[in-house]
Amino acid sequence: MTFKNLFIDHERSKEEEEWIREELAEQEQRFAKIDRQMSDLAPARAKWYEEFFDRISLRGFNADGDQKVKIKREDLPVKPEGREDRVVWKYGVDGE
Amino acid sequence: MARPHIEPFVDRDVTFKRMLLPGFGRDMHYKMLSMDGDTGACTMTVQLDGGYSQPPGFSWSEWEIMVVEGELQLDDRTVRKGHYFFVPAGYAMPAIKSEQGAIVLMMYNTGEPSLVEATEHHHLAHTNLYHDVDSYLDITWVPGNIVKPAVASGVMIKLLNYNPISHAMTFIYCMTPAFYQDNISYHDCAEESYHLWGTSWMMQFGDIPTGGYFWRPAYINHGAFASEFGCIALGRVDSKLFNYFHYNPWSTPQENQTRAAARVYQRDPLLYKWMVSHSHNHPHGPEDFEQTQKLRGPEFPDNEPETDGHKHSHWHTHKHHHHSHD
Ligand SMILES: [Fe+2]
Repeated sequence: MTFKNLFIDHERSKEEEEWIREELAEQEQRFAKIDRQMSDLAPARAKWYEEFFDRISLRGFNADGDQKVKIKREDLPVKPEGREDRVVWKYGVDGE
Repeated sequence: MARPHIEPFVDRDVTFKRMLLPGFGRDMHYKMLSMDGDTGACTMTVQLDGGYSQPPGFSWSEWEIMVVEGELQLDDRTVRKGHYFFVPAGYAMPAIKSEQGAIVLMMYNTGEPSLVEATEHHHLAHTNLYHDVDSYLDITWVPGNIVKPAVASGVMIKLLNYNPISHAMTFIYCMTPAFYQDNISYHDCAEESYHLWGTSWMMQFGDIPTGGYFWRPAYINHGAFASEFGCIALGRVDSKLFNYFHYNPWSTPQENQTRAAARVYQRDPLLYKWMVSHSHNHPHGPEDFEQTQKLRGPEFPDNEPETDGHKHSHWHTHKHHHHSHD
């Protein structure tokens, strides 16, 4: 990620290097826990997806602002064969 | 690696740790929300104990602060909750104290947290970019539909910082009670949020309560959205925010990105073709002549203006007279 703003080059002290290493190790644990929790949420999410499909077919999909478009039932997407429901992507398009 | 996807995370679920990095006062405690493994850039919830004090100084990194609770004293100034600071790298801040203690959000954008004692700015600091504001009292809410396609009515925002080059933004936003928006969204940018108060819901991640946080890399699905009782949050994006809306909850970040590129092709075909055909020549992006053009500089001869700056000699200044046409 980058905010494309100024960074002033400097030396990192040993202390700072160590602090970053520790924080990154803890972040790994934090990530793993979230990943598990989000897997555990899958059954609830399956229901939420169905309710979402009902709302957008009966009441409308927010295409832009409050502009709503009713999606025909036959135009709702199907889950691709063999694909697991997944919502956490560690580094997005850059993979794991 | 860049910051990983941390969503959802609730800072109330973990305890504060003492800040031991050099420069900072010892009465500083923090909860790490997310960190970039390459640069050390990070976002933290920070608790300053009553009597906290740090000397004047600058950071090697650009940083931002939002006061969540309590007050800070900067010299003879007191700032309260909702106060926001944008501090460029190398910009020397005055001494910061908190007599009664405070909770603040600290965001280091380009490097690890650092505080170098100084009363003068670093010579490279872009001092003109510094600004701070009482965002609760001195900025009004505006509708959240600043980009198109837009969020639904019921999201309001206050813009706190905007980078005209990258279009990165920091803002606070709120959702009205009973807000909902029935679409799935993703962006070309990373998105970050910290819930100052209240709960919102997303179809992928469930409820995010007060103290809830996410750092979400680009192209990851989020939404539908709802907030039963309303919420107020600090939000950031690290480059231009564009809302790609759809209704396929199973699309992957790669598919989302490909679709985004397809939209560029459909919207700006000439630009798309140029970028594809020149893709190997510019590892750091194409040349931006505004950043490379030759400038007059201080030694340029005869560099004084010749007019008073109000002159447009191409305009007709003579009196209008009527004449017949053939
Ligand atoms: Fe978003």
